[in-house]
Amino acid sequence: MAERRGEVPGPVPALGGSGMGGGRGPGGGARWLQGGAKAKDAAGTLRRLWRYFGPERRILLVVTVLVAADGCFVLLAPWLIGRSIDAMTGTVNFGALGAAAAALLASYLMDAAVNIGQLRLMAGASQRIVYGLRRALFDKLQRLPVAFFDGRSHGDLMSRLANDIDNISGTISQSTTQLMSTGITITGSLVMMLVLSPPLTLAALVTLPLVFLLTRTISRRTRVLFKEQQVILGSLNGHIEESISGIHVVKAFGREEASIARFAELNARLRDVGTKAQIWSGFIMPIMNVINNVGFAAVALAGGILAVRGMVTVGVIASFLSYSRQFVRPLNDLANIYNTLQTAVAGAERVFEIMDEAEEEPDEADAIDLDRPRGEVRFEGVGFGYRADVLVLKDIGFDAPAGSATALVGPTGAGKTTIVNLLARFYDPTAGRILIDGVDIRLYRRDSLRRCFGIVLQDTYLFSGSIRDNILYGNPDADESEMVRAAKMANADHFIRRLPRGYDSPLTESGTNLSEGQRQLLAIARAILTDPAILILDEATSSVDTRTELHIQEAILALMEGRTSFIIAHRLSTIRDADRIMVIDGGRIVEAGDHESLVAAGGVYARMYASQTGRST
Amino acid sequence: MPHSRTGSQASLLSYLRPYVRIYARPFLLAVLALSVEAACDLLQPTIMSRVIDVGVAGRNLHVVFSLGGLMLLVTAVGACAASARNILSNRVSQSLGAQLRGTLYSKVQSFTFEELDSFDAASIVTRLTNDVTQVQTFVNGTMRIFVKAPLVAVGGIVMATLLNARMAPVLFIVVPVVAVLIVLNVRTGYPFFRKIQAALDRVNGVIREYLAGVRVVKAFNRFDYETGRFASANRELADTTTSVMRVMSVFSPAISLTVNLGIVAVLWIGGVRVSRGGMRLGQVVAFVNYMTQILGSLMMISFIFTIFARARASAERIGEVMLLTPPPRPKRRVAADGSSASSPAAVPPRRDGGMSLRFEKLSFAYGGSGEYVLRNIDFSCGAGETLGVIGSTGSGKTSLVNLIPRFYDAAEGRVLVDDADVVGLDPSALRSRIALVPQKTVLFSGTILDNIRWGKEDASMEEVEAAAAAAQAHEFIAAFPEGYLTQLGQGGVNLSGGQKQRVAIARAIVRRPDLLILDDSTSAVDAVTEASIRRSLRSLKSRMTTIVVAQRISSVREADRILVLDDGEMVGCAAHDELMESCEVYRDIYRSQIGGGREDHG
Repeated sequence: MAERRGEVPGPVPALGGSGMGGGRGPGGGARWLQGGAKAKDAAGTLRRLWRYFGPERRILLVVTVLVAADGCFVLLAPWLIGRSIDAMTGTVNFGALGAAAAALLASYLMDAAVNIGQLRLMAGASQRIVYGLRRALFDKLQRLPVAFFDGRSHGDLMSRLANDIDNISGTISQSTTQLMSTGITITGSLVMMLVLSPPLTLAALVTLPLVFLLTRTISRRTRVLFKEQQVILGSLNGHIEESISGIHVVKAFGREEASIARFAELNARLRDVGTKAQIWSGFIMPIMNVINNVGFAAVALAGGILAVRGMVTVGVIASFLSYSRQFVRPLNDLANIYNTLQTAVAGAERVFEIMDEAEEEPDEADAIDLDRPRGEVRFEGVGFGYRADVLVLKDIGFDAPAGSATALVGPTGAGKTTIVNLLARFYDPTAGRILIDGVDIRLYRRDSLRRCFGIVLQDTYLFSGSIRDNILYGNPDADESEMVRAAKMANADHFIRRLPRGYDSPLTESGTNLSEGQRQLLAIARAILTDPAILILDEATSSVDTRTELHIQEAILALMEGRTSFIIAHRLSTIRDADRIMVIDGGRIVEAGDHESLVAAGGVYARMYASQTGRST
Repeated sequence: MPHSRTGSQASLLSYLRPYVRIYARPFLLAVLALSVEAACDLLQPTIMSRVIDVGVAGRNLHVVFSLGGLMLLVTAVGACAASARNILSNRVSQSLGAQLRGTLYSKVQSFTFEELDSFDAASIVTRLTNDVTQVQTFVNGTMRIFVKAPLVAVGGIVMATLLNARMAPVLFIVVPVVAVLIVLNVRTGYPFFRKIQAALDRVNGVIREYLAGVRVVKAFNRFDYETGRFASANRELADTTTSVMRVMSVFSPAISLTVNLGIVAVLWIGGVRVSRGGMRLGQVVAFVNYMTQILGSLMMISFIFTIFARARASAERIGEVMLLTPPPRPKRRVAADGSSASSPAAVPPRRDGGMSLRFEKLSFAYGGSGEYVLRNIDFSCGAGETLGVIGSTGSGKTSLVNLIPRFYDAAEGRVLVDDADVVGLDPSALRSRIALVPQKTVLFSGTILDNIRWGKEDASMEEVEAAAAAAQAHEFIAAFPEGYLTQLGQGGVNLSGGQKQRVAIARAIVRRPDLLILDDSTSAVDAVTEASIRRSLRSLKSRMTTIVVAQRISSVREADRILVLDDGEMVGCAAHDELMESCEVYRDIYRSQIGGGREDHG
């Protein structure tokens, strides 16, 4: 009569698992939601998931065996109780009672042992599965091209990595064992019931069609509602992520009210749909309970009649009642398991969607290492557009000999940063080719190619950790003195030393502790430390004041010695000394030459120079 | 961050009190319905025992029928109660969850910048989503089964005792043992759950950073490092979860074994008593049935406590945000005219000519760090003037402008707008007259139009286009196939840095502010475009004051007044020509940019 399993899930709640269900759900753009919320090919997704379980499959097998054993003990108990009762009928047969009680005791002990073992195994296995899945997804993110990230909501991606995977593991690990034990209990109970008394079995099964009918009707409604709930949850999470990330701007513009209003709208919709979904699914339990009890009464009635006629013993009735409960209860569970499985499959599909994204084109099998690069760069008729219909670069061709300094200037949006994106193979050109040391960069192994660059970008992107960690990011093998030298060259050393904890000062996400300019100095130090063959400075000093920049300039000049360098800057003071200045406008090179010749030519560059120095042409 | 964490854990949950008041009634109603449900469940075994002892043993079919009918009736009553409870509990938990989330969100929105600085964005997001869900799940669970479980347990014990008092000692042994197991369960679980949520924060944090810095990761080939960082956060989350599940795995089988041993005892003792005639067979069956019910409820109770531990960890994390007490503020000075600044005065009305501005002997340090980033700043700027702010990296330029919209309040000295101390003004009313273009451009997903209208919701298309034109953004926007309806990706990545800045400037201009602050917001805009922006701003000059924080002299040289900052101190405040005469630092900057300055630098 140990009726548990069903109602008592493990430590991780399966209960109300659909509330905000571990916060599963996509963030941001509704564009990707459509695909996510629907379980398109549940069987296929589950099969695929099974493959990801990898080595844990063997443990799951062991768990299955344990669950089956547990099922047998659970089934055995009511029968043994019935035997004990029968042993008391009329005159008490202590021998039989003792035997039955002893067997019961043994079976309970075994059951506890088996259960502990199964739970412990499952704890390890399910967490290893989550760990592995998360890792696989993160690894995948590392192989995706920059273009992928440029078009995605970060909130959505985070949600998939954190919540969807959690959801999958929690549900799968729990539902699989539940499913197994449910199956075993149902068949076992049915068999035992038939063995005990076929006529009583018939009475117990009277309610069965009702159960199926109800479960189907209700779960059809709830499925739609749960799906809707997930979509709204996705938009809500997206809104949270975006508005919290940009909260400084929200506040600066006094947009708190608007932001709260949007939140409130989504939040209210989530509440309404969530309430409906929960109420509908919540009805399953009480209704099932009624049906159960009808069945219970039917068995009692039939049992009573049969017992009065002497066709069954009281002990049989007692066992039978337990079995009929055990038989019907898992049927409720099946409905629940179905629901949770459904959300897990939806989560898995969202994860697999990322797994199926096209990766950065893999290196050719015969890709070569760019070893000891000289740093000769050549663009040949390069064309590119982030979107097929908007070309950003058209027919760019130039030569940058090893050790030369090339400056790229031009209005914003002219395509300067795009040239850098192509050089570092963040994107591949749609036309033409780029050569380094005379070889198409697509023929190099990506990691060796990128290793030859030192890049300082417009956006500094420091990571949380200490200042030391961030400078060493470019070259973790560098020693203390090298690191300090790089910081000194970038003119960062003096302000770092003034911080209370010096190089060990932590950088926080909100980062009030450093100004934007100081962050740029750190980014420059980071690049200096990589000691690259090709140096790319994309507006590297835009937030640094010009006097500090002068300091850095000296460092940069020293750094440029013997390296090929590309400098993008609006401040012409930064680039005057470049060997060659290319003026990019509308995706084309419109002028090229050194400072003097360009000023003398009186073209675009001369006008820019004049406007900046305040000197009239 | 630690300065903001408050008091004991009990007080961390005090924010829940109003919710208790609001939801107490429906909650109690749900519990009432639940009690009816539980009572009905409890009656079943007793009726059953009568079916056996009276009906079957007495071979009385009539009794079997009538008792069977009674059973169905009891069941029906129970089902009605359960349905009512189902509706109530879901309404309450969903509304409570939504309200909690809403309040938390509003609370975060109302944070001052200082308060925001004390939390990671990732952590706030987790709290708003995952932690609220944990609390909601618990509340729902309480009304669904958690309350029912103790009721059934206690009721089962009472009924069983009534049935046969001599059997009760079995219960008196079983129940305390289970109670001890449950207490142990909670004690072990709770600390783990806090760790799990914190580990989840870290996983989220690493992902966020990776997503934001993906270009840098790729540029520096630091995949291994990122993988390692992620692996350690991931591993920690997995390990903590595994250990809690492992530890917890002992408890539920142990509880169930304890009760099951009780059942064996009942059977044996029952046999002895039946043989002595002290007990009837049906009573043994009923007793075992009650034991089973008690077992079910005890398991549920232990499960409740597990969830409770988890919900408590989450509720406290929410409490940390809800109850955040800002670091001790500098004592409010009494305003110069003697009026106390305690009640926010109305913001002086919008003036068409812009906003006048005065800093009086102002010094400022972040979050009580004691390290002044601004010292003794004193200057004024008339309505409609343009003020340039220039100075070296980290000299305090951004900190200075952040004080005007009251993102932070200064420790010493005052900031006056239109002759009123900002500390006495309502921040949101004050900010409605100011538009700021921050150094780091933040755009939101949506169309370009949405983003510009962000500055002024009801801006007409003409206003939007005019603002975009003034920011030199109209041309490139119009060149997109979808024009102003072009969708921006996350953070607006498909625009170049300079284009993003110009959209942000348009967003500020469309607001028609009295004070426009450009915080080095044309750093990625080329010189020619910037000059055009300056020209169009000059044409708007008659109606607003402008502060231009810049690195380039060319950006500020035409300003009415240029404030020169050096290491947090004001070293000059005058027009360009005068500064060239009088201010060494300014001359340095000038030389470094316009030429010839490199040799005398240092």
